[in-house]
Amino acid sequence: MTRSNEKNLRIIAITPSTRGFGFAVVEGGTLIDWGVKSVKGNKNSQCILKVEELIAHYHPGVMVLEDHSAKGSRRSPRIRILGEQIIAIAKKQKITVTLFSRQQVRKAFFSDGNGTKDALAEILAKRFPEELGFRLPAKRRPWMSEAYQMGIFDAVSLALMIGERKSSQSVRVDAGESDN
Amino acid sequence: MTWVQLPNYLLANRKRLALVQDEVAFLLGAETGESVCRHERFTREPSLAVALAYEAIYQRPVRELFAGLYRKIEKEVATRSKTVTDRTRLKKTTRQRAHKIQTLTDMAARLSSKDENL
Repeated sequence: MTRSNEKNLRIIAITPSTRGFGFAVVEGGTLIDWGVKSVKGNKNSQCILKVEELIAHYHPGVMVLEDHSAKGSRRSPRIRILGEQIIAIAKKQKITVTLFSRQQVRKAFFSDGNGTKDALAEILAKRFPEELGFRLPAKRRPWMSEAYQMGIFDAVSLALMIGERKSSQSVRVDAGESDN
Repeated sequence: MTWVQLPNYLLANRKRLALVQDEVAFLLGAETGESVCRHERFTREPSLAVALAYEAIYQRPVRELFAGLYRKIEKEVATRSKTVTDRTRLKKTTRQRAHKIQTLTDMAARLSSKDENL
């Protein structure tokens, strides 16, 4: 793939959550779609249907997901299964899948590699003020649940990781090898 | 991997302004958000008046809002300009025709170079 093609890639990032999943579609550094899809009933099968709809609409070249097998990942068995199902769909559609752990994301966005999700959301809201500025949730207090729209910020951070690949090791699922 | 721009970027711009389809439809002068939905899902292309209304709402030029469609039309124009150049070359050369050939050649080169830069 040439450098110009890489710059023009359409990237979709998906972050499964308890309610459904957050997603972000980035093209040439521009955010072209973002949101949270909520599902009810059989959550995994409903999520799969919605992911397929997004793929059919945007024809992404790369899909980015959180690496649930990374050390320290505390995702539930259902989310882990959903992640595997999404990877299977992407492979079927010949989409390159890249996985990043939360630690890699933090390393890319914070100089010391430490930072909260709230702080990361603030960084992203500053980077995309028109698109995400008004969706920035209030800082979460210990007794509060995570904000509904936090899935968007998680997905955007993963999508932007493709541009940061030089500085972090990602896992390319289709190639089955580390990609620097 | 071939990369093709989306026919339009209406959805991204609507979300940027935090508007819902019914509100955009009202601004366009339509009764319901169905037409907006069809435009955003690429199942229908809007009329020129509606495209200009989108430009007024989103404050982005039409060629940017409908980037994929514009690119497709641009390519078609480049191909046609080469055809017109070839036709003109078959005729007797005059100063006016030489100028026309130069204009059309420049046009084809300009539009083709945009394609290569992608």
